[in-house]
Amino acid sequence: MTRERLPDIPKSAGRSGRVPFIPPPSSIIWAVGIAIMVLILYVSRELVLLLILSAGLAYLINPLVKMAESVAIKRGVAVTALFLGIGGSLIVTAYFFVPRLRAEVTALSSGSPSFTERLDEAIDAVQKEIMAEHPAARRLFPAREARYDRLNAFITQQTSNLPGLVGHLATIALGAVLIPFFAFFLLRDNQKIIQFLMDRLPAPHIETSVAVWCEIDRTIGRYLRGLAMDGLVIGAAAALGLWALGVNYPLLLGAFSGLANAVPYLGPILGGGMAMLIALIQFKGLGPLGNVLLLYLFIKVLDDVVIQAATIGRSVHLHPILLLASVTTGGHAFGLIGMILAVPAVTVLQEVSKLLLERRRYQAGTPAPHPGKGVHTQPYVC
Amino acid sequence: MPKLRWPEWTIDPEQLRRLDLLEKVPLFAGLSRRQLGKLLVKLFEKGYEAGETIFLEGEPGKALFIVLDGRVSICRAGLGGEHRLATLAPGAYFGELALIDDQPRSATARADEPSALLILYKSHFDDLIEGHSTIAIRVMGNLLKALAGYVRAAQARSPSLSATLPPSGAAPE
Repeated sequence: MTRERLPDIPKSAGRSGRVPFIPPPSSIIWAVGIAIMVLILYVSRELVLLLILSAGLAYLINPLVKMAESVAIKRGVAVTALFLGIGGSLIVTAYFFVPRLRAEVTALSSGSPSFTERLDEAIDAVQKEIMAEHPAARRLFPAREARYDRLNAFITQQTSNLPGLVGHLATIALGAVLIPFFAFFLLRDNQKIIQFLMDRLPAPHIETSVAVWCEIDRTIGRYLRGLAMDGLVIGAAAALGLWALGVNYPLLLGAFSGLANAVPYLGPILGGGMAMLIALIQFKGLGPLGNVLLLYLFIKVLDDVVIQAATIGRSVHLHPILLLASVTTGGHAFGLIGMILAVPAVTVLQEVSKLLLERRRYQAGTPAPHPGKGVHTQPYVC
Repeated sequence: MPKLRWPEWTIDPEQLRRLDLLEKVPLFAGLSRRQLGKLLVKLFEKGYEAGETIFLEGEPGKALFIVLDGRVSICRAGLGGEHRLATLAPGAYFGELALIDDQPRSATARADEPSALLILYKSHFDDLIEGHSTIAIRVMGNLLKALAGYVRAAQARSPSLSATLPPSGAAPE
C-alpha cells in the first residue's frame, strides 16, 4: 500500500495553517519585467527607432571622437568640431551632387512616353531579338497586349504606395533633424552614461558586465562601420562600372545599390535589378543587359571575397542558416529596418550568451577546457 | 619644427592625468605617448569602497586592472585562511593573466581604501594589439618579463618547484 504524501506546510505558517505570502521566484519577476519593457518599447517604437538610428550614426562617428580623445582633447570639443566638419562637408557635397542627382531623378520620372510604355517597348525589342535567334522561343512569350496589361497592372500596384510615402515625408524630415541631434548628445555624453552605469553596477558583476558591454559595443560598432564602408565601396564601384558601360543615371543607381546593400541577400538583387531595368529601357538589347548583369555579379563576388571579409566579416560570425533565418524573421517583424538590424542583434545575442554561459559554467564549478597540450594551467598570479 | 600644441581649453586634464599614470605602468613601458593614448580610450574606470572585493579567486578573468587611486590587496586562500600576497598603489596593475588566457583568477583582489581602478577588457586589448604590432611587441615583451620575474620568485621561494618546470629553453611536453 502506498501512502499519499501530504503537501508540506511551511514552519512559519503557524497554528492556523494559513500560508504567508511567498514572494514569486526571481525568474517570474524577470519575465514580468521583460514583458513590461517590451510593451513600453512597442508603444514608443517610433522614438525607439529614432534612437536606434541615432545610435547607429553615433557608432559610425565614434572612432573619430576616440582618436581626438587619445590625444587628451575634451570629448565635447571633439564631437562639436566633428559635427561642424561633417555638416560642412555634407553641404559642399550636396552643392555639387544634388543638382546632378535631381536631374537624373527628373529625367527618369518625367520622360515621355510613360515608364510603362518605354519598358514595354524595351521588352518587345528583347523578345524580337531572342525570337530572331531562336524562333522556337515564340510560344514562350505572351501576346503584346496581354503583356502590356500585366506590366501596367504590376507597375500600378507597385507605385500605389507612393502617396503614402509622400505622406511620411514629414516624418522623414523630422528624422533627418532629430537623428543627428540625438546622435550628437549620445556621442558627447557617451562616457558619462557608461560611467553612471559603471558606478552603479555591483562590484562582483563588474567584469562580466564590462565583458558583455565590450562585446556588444565591438560587434555593433564593427558591423555598422563595416556596413557603411561596404555600402560606400559597392555604391562607388557600381556607379563607376555603370558610367563605363554608358548606362544612364550612374550616380543615382550607384547610390541606390550602395544603400540597398545594407539589406542582406535582398539588397544586391534589388540594386542589380534596378540597374538592369534602366539598361533594358535604354539599350533595348540583350548584350548591354548581359554586361550590367556581369558587372553586378563581379561586384557581388568582389564584395563577398574581399570587401565583406575586410569589413563586416570581422564582426559577424553567424552560421549562414542562422544569418538567413535572422534576416527573414527581422524582415517579417519590422520590415526593412528589421532586416538590417537582425544580423547585429543576433550576433550580439550569440556573443552575450557565450559569455554568460561561460560565467555560469565557472559558477557551477565545471573546469574550463584545457588550453592545449603542454600549456601550464596553473597561473602564478591573478 | 615646433610641436603642434592644442589650445588649453580643448585639453581634458583628467585624460592627461591618466596618460601620465599609464606612462608609469611597467606593463606599458616603452610605449610612446601616442600609443598610450590609443590604449587610454579603451579603458573603463570604476570606483570601489574600502573592503570591497574586486574579484574572487576562481572567478573567470576577463580584464586587467590598473590602480588609478587608492590601495588594493591581492590575497590568496591558504591553509591558515587568506593571506596577503601584495599591496598595490597607484600605477600598479593586476589581473594581467586574463590578457593571456581564459583561466580562472588565482587570487582575490580587494580594495583596502576607497579606490579607483582602470579596467582593460581582454577583447579590447586583443583589438588594440591586432592593429598595432609595435604596441603588441612592447606589451607582450613587458608581460613576459613580468612572468619571468614571477617564475624566478616562485623558484626562489620553493626550490622543489624547479624540478616541475621545464629546463629553460626547452618546450614543455
